Amino acid sequence: MEAVVWIEVVSRARDVVARHRCAGPEIRVGRAYDNDVVLDDPYVAPHHLRIHRSENGGWIAEDLGSANGLFLDHTRDRFGWAEIDGDRLMRIGHTYLRLRESDHAVAPERPDQPRSHGLLPVLAGLGGAVIALEVGSSWLAETTEPKLSPYLYSVLVVTVFIGTWTAIWSVLTRIFSGQARFERNLLIALVGMLIYGLYREFVAFAGFSLSLNELATYQYVGVWSLLAAVCFLHLRVVSPARPRLKAGLVVALLAAGIGVQLLNQSELRTGFDRQGMALHLLPPEFRLVPLQTEDTFFADIEALKAKLDHDRTEPPSSGLSGSIAITKQ
Amino acid sequence: MKFAWLLVASILASAGAWAQGNGPAMPPAPEAASVAERVYSAARPRLLQIRTLVIAADRQSTIGSGFLVSADGLAITNYHVVSQYALEPSTYRLEYAAADHSRGEVRLLAIDVANDLALVRVDHKDQPFFEFDERAVHGEVPKGERLYSMGNPLDLGFTIVEGTYNGLVDRSYNERIHFSGAINPGMSGGPTVTADGHVVGINVAKQLGGELVSFLVPARFAATLLASAPADGPPDLTQIKTEIGRQLTVWQEGLYKALGDAAFRGVTFGPYKAPESAAPWFTCWAQTNAGQVPKPRASSNTTNCGSDTQVYVASDLNTGSVRLSHSYFSSIDLNRFQFATFVAQQNPAQWLLGFNWSRKWHTQQRCHEDFVSGSPTDGRPTLRALWCARAYREFEGLYDVWVMTITQDRGTEALVSRLSLQGVTYPNAIAFGKRFIEAVQWKP
Repeated sequence: MEAVVWIEVVSRARDVVARHRCAGPEIRVGRAYDNDVVLDDPYVAPHHLRIHRSENGGWIAEDLGSANGLFLDHTRDRFGWAEIDGDRLMRIGHTYLRLRESDHAVAPERPDQPRSHGLLPVLAGLGGAVIALEVGSSWLAETTEPKLSPYLYSVLVVTVFIGTWTAIWSVLTRIFSGQARFERNLLIALVGMLIYGLYREFVAFAGFSLSLNELATYQYVGVWSLLAAVCFLHLRVVSPARPRLKAGLVVALLAAGIGVQLLNQSELRTGFDRQGMALHLLPPEFRLVPLQTEDTFFADIEALKAKLDHDRTEPPSSGLSGSIAITKQ
Repeated sequence: MKFAWLLVASILASAGAWAQGNGPAMPPAPEAASVAERVYSAARPRLLQIRTLVIAADRQSTIGSGFLVSADGLAITNYHVVSQYALEPSTYRLEYAAADHSRGEVRLLAIDVANDLALVRVDHKDQPFFEFDERAVHGEVPKGERLYSMGNPLDLGFTIVEGTYNGLVDRSYNERIHFSGAINPGMSGGPTVTADGHVVGINVAKQLGGELVSFLVPARFAATLLASAPADGPPDLTQIKTEIGRQLTVWQEGLYKALGDAAFRGVTFGPYKAPESAAPWFTCWAQTNAGQVPKPRASSNTTNCGSDTQVYVASDLNTGSVRLSHSYFSSIDLNRFQFATFVAQQNPAQWLLGFNWSRKWHTQQRCHEDFVSGSPTDGRPTLRALWCARAYREFEGLYDVWVMTITQDRGTEALVSRLSLQGVTYPNAIAFGKRFIEAVQWKP
């Protein structure tokens, strides 16, 4: 009596797509209906593969003269025949196969995790905080006739944005790991949005309270970093595999984003070194930097003259000198 | 104030600036008409049209007028008539056309940028020439005297226009004669003469939006330029920008000396007292949002003062203006945060932009901002002060400077004071800026 073996058809992401129970010393695989395992892949020959016991008790896969051949383990080397075991993947045509014997060791039972309802209050709290921040900052900047619709509109925009963002990541998670994990993705999106809102407020605050206008000039560095971090966390939820590749991807995104914006800033010649000339004002009691005496203020202004005189010596049309002038400020 | 310099760059472009005048308002008496006839027939051989041509196309780019002041071909015109050539001698050339249809080369000998004059030499020798009126040189021409302005308006041919002498313009730092007569584009650089044919002034500009309001450069500046003319041989045009920079520096020294001598007048805004220059050549205008609908949530009262001190340097560069502005804001029903945002919104980038920025003339603007402590003993509130400046690429030592201060002693009231100085040396800017900032005070 020959032991039962399983031929598993595996997706590219190594999920099992189909499983065929086979018995007998020899298993035939192909598109024809007289095979033990019938595949629908048009790149597979009618009689493609014969799998049989080797003399030492292992298994051998043998190409029956197909045009497209037999490959192992994602490599590009074609085999006429090859020894296989439960872990080696075979590829014929566009189909991945593997053979598992009935005594193949499986992982122990994973303890059931209760569905993460525990996240719901956290999500609700975060959502509330994001909306409160949005509405609050709109209210503090309201200088014209009070109207309700702008508030509702901004809440709607934020909600739709977070919803769409989370949905896209959930669909990706579902595709790659089978579960949508909506709550986990929503958590990441909400935390990201909250940090963005706080960061934006901080930049405006620092522009006034700390006299740090440069922060506004380079605000995009923080925004890109935040976006990269959020994407990295989403990618980890999609699947925990290959963290280095993912980290590399988001760092590349970050570098590209910052690089393009920096280039844009250097090529945008408006005649100012001050971001959009935006004036950030807060009530006077929010000042944190010490007061300058008039003499120190005018000493700083004297010092500005040297920079202006240096600017004069630079040719007006050179491409990147503008960016150097900006960063030196 | 809006001026049109009377240079024809393109007739279509300047069409909007044409004055509506059809000669003097009063029907001329018969003997007056004969005076004009006599003046013109005597002046005709002494008049020139000065044309700037693009070398590559050999076509005129701008036209103006000029007049002979010596038998050996020296002529006076406006600086702005020859400025294109002076600044870009490799792209443009100058040519004169006389009433007898002769044409020839024009050589630039000397310029007076602040008074918008140029001295040139033409190959049009042994002709009669104009002399300057002695009374005009000493400022003794009576108001109301009939004058005759000549030139070639809009390239239509030499023309004579009657008008009246109306003395020096009151509110102008640069001395200018107010001439009530129709001066049109193209007549720039032409002479305005008395009935006996002596030059009183040189046509330079007219007021946009006015009727027959024209301006002349007093003859004495032309006489001075002629007297200081270099022996001969054209000046080195590669050094002309240095020369323009030197003249502008000398000119602004005079202006800031005069500004320094003129006291600041304290003007009350709510609990504050803000400085306005008492110098006579400032004109101030006020603005308020009191009548706005919907009702504003913070009141805003603004005063803008501008000096009539502009100097023409190139078609895309005027300099020399001084502006002061104060805005007093007071919350009606805004909270402290909303009020701060309101004040920030009322000071748009345009103000700090101030004047046109051109990469050709200016460096990038640099700013410094800080909180400057007040002085309770002098009655000065704490200020948030912002200082922005840019240098002129071609004129060493000259800068454009903007200063803005915002009072920081109250949460729902603020005085925003702004100062902008064009074409100023750094020490003058600092001295004047400092005086300005120190004059922002509490009402005693």
